Amino acid sequence: MRKAVLYLLSIALLSMVACNETVVPKTVRKEKPVLFPDYVGVTVPATIAPLNFKVQGEYQAIDALLEGKNNQIIHVQDKDFVHIDPVKWARLLNESKGDSLRITVSVKQADGWVQFAPFAVHVSDVPIDYGLVYRLIAPGYEVYSKMGIYQRDMSSFTQTPILENTLIPGSCINCHSFRLANPDDMSLHIRGQKGGTILKTSGTVKLLNTKTKQTISNFVYPFWHPSGKYMAYSVNNTHQVFHEAKGERVEVGDAASDVIVYDIAKNEAIGSPVLMQDSVFETLPTFSPDGRSLYFCAAKAKKMPVEYKEVKYNLCRVLFDPETGTIGNTIDTLFNATAIGKSVAFPRPSPDGKYIMFTLIDYGNFSIWHKEADLYLLDVRTGECRPVSEANSDQTESYHSWSSNSRWFVFSSRRIDGLYTRPFIAFLDENGKAGKPFLLPQADPDYYERLLFSFNVPEFVSAPVDLNTSTIERLMATPGENVGFRK
Amino acid sequence: MKIFSIDKMMAAVFGLMVFAFFAFLYPFHLNYQEQYQLFLFSADYVSSYFVKPGGLSDYLGNFLTQFYFYSWVGALLIAVLLTLLQVMVWQVSRKLGAKPVFLPFTFVPSVLFWSLLCDENYLLGGVIAMLILGVFILLCIQFRTGWERMVFLLISLPVLYWLIGGAFVLLALFVIGYELIFRQLKTGQLLTLGVAALLLVVVLPLLAKRIIQQYPLSRLCIGVNYYRFPVNVPVAIGIIGLLIASLPYLLRWLSAKLRSGKAVFLIVFQLAVVAGGGLMLIRNSADMAKEEVMAYDFNVRMRKWDRVIAMAEKKKPSTPLSVTCLNLALAKMDLLGERMFAYYQNGVGGLIPDFVRDYTIPMIAGEVYYHLGFVNTAQRLAFEAMEALPDYQKSARSVMRLAETNIINGDYAVATKYLHLLQQTFYYREWATKALQTINDEKLIDQHPEWGWLRKCRTREDFLFSEKEKDMMLGILFRQNPENRMAFEYLMAYCLLSKDLQHFVEYFPLGKSLNYKAIPKSYQEALIYVWGLTHPDPIQTIPYAIGNGVKNRVRQYQRIYTGQMNAEPALRDQFADTYWYYLHFRN
Repeated sequence: MRKAVLYLLSIALLSMVACNETVVPKTVRKEKPVLFPDYVGVTVPATIAPLNFKVQGEYQAIDALLEGKNNQIIHVQDKDFVHIDPVKWARLLNESKGDSLRITVSVKQADGWVQFAPFAVHVSDVPIDYGLVYRLIAPGYEVYSKMGIYQRDMSSFTQTPILENTLIPGSCINCHSFRLANPDDMSLHIRGQKGGTILKTSGTVKLLNTKTKQTISNFVYPFWHPSGKYMAYSVNNTHQVFHEAKGERVEVGDAASDVIVYDIAKNEAIGSPVLMQDSVFETLPTFSPDGRSLYFCAAKAKKMPVEYKEVKYNLCRVLFDPETGTIGNTIDTLFNATAIGKSVAFPRPSPDGKYIMFTLIDYGNFSIWHKEADLYLLDVRTGECRPVSEANSDQTESYHSWSSNSRWFVFSSRRIDGLYTRPFIAFLDENGKAGKPFLLPQADPDYYERLLFSFNVPEFVSAPVDLNTSTIERLMATPGENVGFRK
Repeated sequence: MKIFSIDKMMAAVFGLMVFAFFAFLYPFHLNYQEQYQLFLFSADYVSSYFVKPGGLSDYLGNFLTQFYFYSWVGALLIAVLLTLLQVMVWQVSRKLGAKPVFLPFTFVPSVLFWSLLCDENYLLGGVIAMLILGVFILLCIQFRTGWERMVFLLISLPVLYWLIGGAFVLLALFVIGYELIFRQLKTGQLLTLGVAALLLVVVLPLLAKRIIQQYPLSRLCIGVNYYRFPVNVPVAIGIIGLLIASLPYLLRWLSAKLRSGKAVFLIVFQLAVVAGGGLMLIRNSADMAKEEVMAYDFNVRMRKWDRVIAMAEKKKPSTPLSVTCLNLALAKMDLLGERMFAYYQNGVGGLIPDFVRDYTIPMIAGEVYYHLGFVNTAQRLAFEAMEALPDYQKSARSVMRLAETNIINGDYAVATKYLHLLQQTFYYREWATKALQTINDEKLIDQHPEWGWLRKCRTREDFLFSEKEKDMMLGILFRQNPENRMAFEYLMAYCLLSKDLQHFVEYFPLGKSLNYKAIPKSYQEALIYVWGLTHPDPIQTIPYAIGNGVKNRVRQYQRIYTGQMNAEPALRDQFADTYWYYLHFRN
C-alpha cells in the first residue's frame, strides 16, 4: 500500500515537473515583448498585486522568469498567461524595493520557443495607499443599468462592493468622495425616486436633501475640506447631447452651474456672489491642502447647447476662511486655459500642496467624452504648467486622484479600446516626473476585455471603507435632512 | 409499464398543444425574449448567477431561453417543461393516493404557467424553479419513514434555497403537510422538526442578507427572477407554487370522497374546467397585438423586408411600431414614396419613433437610424435599449449592433471586445468570427454590402442629434451623400407625414440625383395638391410629370371632397391609399 502511494506521488511529481517545460529558445528577439497589460518599464509600489500578463498574439505556452534583488526568482510557465503566485510575488517585491525586476518572457510557437529581450519593472520604495474606490458603470448615455461603487485592495485582487444599485433598485449612485483618502469621511449621491446625498463622518451616516431654494440643483461634484468641517460642491443644471459624426459620441454640458461650500456641522450650504454668478459657469471645486483656498473651474456662460464648443473653463481660486466659513471676494485665475483655446476640468491639488493636476480639453468640462483630454501638472510655486506626457495617450485621460503621500496618482484612461475607462496608476518622483503608468492588475489579464463596465472616479483610500448597507436602506426609507442655505 | 396509458397520452396531447401555440400562434414572443439576454459560455458568466439565491433557476432559464432564437425550438422547450411539470404533479398526486379520475386537474399549474408565459416579461427561470421544487418533492416522498423525510427536508432546505430562492418554503410546507396527514412521526417529533424547518425557512433569507448585502431582503426572499421587472412581487407564481404543493393533497382528499359512478361526470367536468378555463385564460393572456409588433420587428431585425411587406398586405398594421417597421421595409425595397399611403400612417412617430427610456422602442427606432446611416444614433439606441433592461441582462441584439456600428465607424478595438463576447454565445459565434476576420481587412469592410454602404452614408460633418429636428438631420444626411435614396425618401416622408408641404416642395428637387424613372406616387399626389392651391387648373398647368392615373383620381377626389358635406366615408372607401386622404383626415 505504502509503495503504491509513493508510486502515485512520484508520478504526480513527475507530471508537475513535466508541466514546466525547459525553455530552449529557438529564436531570441532583440525587441521587448508586447504585453497586455503593458507592464514593460513601469514603476510599481512594493505592495501591488501580481502583475499577471500575457503576450499579444497567438502562442501555445508562455514562460516568464522574474528576477529580483537578493537572488529572488520566480519562474512561471503557463498556457494562456503569466499567472504569478501572490506569496512569492510579495516576497520578490519586498526584497526588490528601490530596485528593478528583470523579466524575461518567452512564448512557445509551432516551431519552438521564442525569447524576447528582458524588460524591467521598477519597484519603488515609496508606499501607496491601501486601495482604490471606483464606480463600475456601463459607458452609456441617458439610461443606466446595474452599477455600484466598489473598493479594491491593491495588494490583492479582492474587489468588494461598497454600494450597488441592486440595493435601491432604479437608482444611480455617483460622486463618491473621501477626505484625504480617509475611508471614515465619505460622501456619495444616490439619485432616483428615492435619493439624496449620503454623508459619512466619523461613524455617523446621514441622508441629506441638498436642494435648496437658493441653489439650482442638488449638490453634484464634491470635494472635502482637509479639516473635515466643510465640503465644496458644485450645483449644476446639466444636459447631454449626442454627436452624429464618427469619433464623437456624447457631449455633457451645463446650462448653469455654481459652487457652494457645505458646512457639515450647521448643515448649511454657504453661498457667495462670486461663486454664483449668472454670467459665469462655476464648477468642479476643490480645496487647497491648507484649506485656505478654494479652486474651481470657471467659464463665461454661453447659450447651451448651441454654443457648447465656446464654453472654456479657466482654473480659478478664491480664498476661504475655515475658521469663519467665509468665502473671499476676489477671484484669481491660476491657469488661463481660455488664452490657449482650451478648457480645464477636474483640478486636483496634491496633498503636499506642490502641484495641481487637471485635465485639459478643447472645451467644456466633461472630459471623459473628449479624446483629446490629457493630464496636466501645474507647479503651484512656479506657476509652470506642463502636460504629463509620461502618462498621457492619444485617447482620453480624465479623472485623477492623488495618493495621500502625493507620490502616486491614479487616473482613468480610455487608451485600451477608446470607450471603456480603465484605471492606470503612475509614480511621480521628487522632481515631478511621472513614471510609465500601469493598468490596475487583475488576476486574469482578459478581465478587462470581458468587462462591460467602465471604472469611474478612481479614488485612493488608506483603509477599507465600511459602509453599512442596512443603514443606507434605513436612511433611504426616511425623508432625509434638508440642507439650509446662508450667504 | 404501459407505453400508451391515458395519463401519458393526455400529457403528450397537452405538450403538443403548448408546442403548437408557441410555434405557430405566438412564435415572435419567443424571438423577442431571446434578444434580451446575452447568454455566455464562460466561467465569469456562470459565477455571476450563483451569487444570490435562485441563481441556478435563473441560469438554467436563461440557458434554455437562448434557444428561442429559433422559435420552434423555444416552443418545444416550453412544451417539454410544462408537460414535465404536469407529469410531476401527477406523480406526486398518485403517490399520495389521488385516483386516476383526477388526472385532468393536475394540468392546472401547467396551464396557469402557460398563460403567464404569454407575457413576454415572465421568464423561464420561474418554470425551472417549480420543476426543481417538484423534483425535491418527488424525492421526499420516496422516503419510507418520517424521520428520513424530515432529515432530508432539513438538509435540502439550504440547498434548495440556493437553487430556487424563496420557493423553497413550499417544500417545507409540503413535507409538514405530508407528516400531518400520514402521521409517521409522533406529535413531539413532528413539532420539533417542523419548528426546525420553519426556523430554517426564516433564518436562511436573513442569513443570506447578512452575506449578500447589496440586495434588499425582499429580493433575497423571492430569489428567482420570475419577472423581468425585479421590483414586481410575482404573486401569480406564488399561487402556482402553492398549487403545486397543495394540489396532490386536494386530489387525495377528493379521491377519498369520491363516490362510485361519478367518474365519467368528474372527468368531463374537469376537462371542461381545465380546457375551457385554460382556453379563456390563454386567450386573455395572449397579446396578439404585441405578437404582431414583435413579428414585424423580428423580420426587420433579420432584414426580411419582403416578409414585412407581405405581412402588411395580409393585414394592415395599425400600431405605431408596426408602421415604423413597415415604412423601413418599404424604404429598403425602394417603395416608400410609392406605397407608403397604401397603408395606415400615424404621422412622423410611425416613421422614426421618438426616444423612450425602455428596451423596445429604442431597439426598433435604432433599426431605422442604422439603415438610414445615422450610425452613432443607431449605436446609442442599441446601448440604451440594453441598459434599460430592468433585470440587468445584456442584449445579444444590442451587442451585435454595437459591434456593427463600431466596425462601420472604424472603432475596431471596442468592436473586437463585443465580437469576442459574441464568440462566447451559441448562436452568434459564427457571425462574430466572420466579423472579426472582416475587421482585419479594411477593403472587406468597404465591400460589405451593408457596412460598406453605411460607411458611405454616415455623416462626415458633425452635428448634434435633435429629436425635434429629424427633418433637418435627414437633410444633412442626404446632402452629404446624394445617393442615399433612403435618406431622401425619409425626408420626403417626414414632410408629408407632418403635412409640411412647403418644405416638401422645397426639398423635392434634391431627389434629382437619384434618377427616379417616375415620380413616386405619393409625391405626385402631394405635388398636384400643392400646385392646385395656387393654380386654377393644376392638371393642365402642373410642370411635374404627373401620371394620368393620379390626375384622374385627383379630379374624382376633388369632386367628392368639395361636393359632399361629410365626404370622409366616401373618400375613405376610394381614396384611403392617397396622400390627400391622409392630409385631410388623419390627425
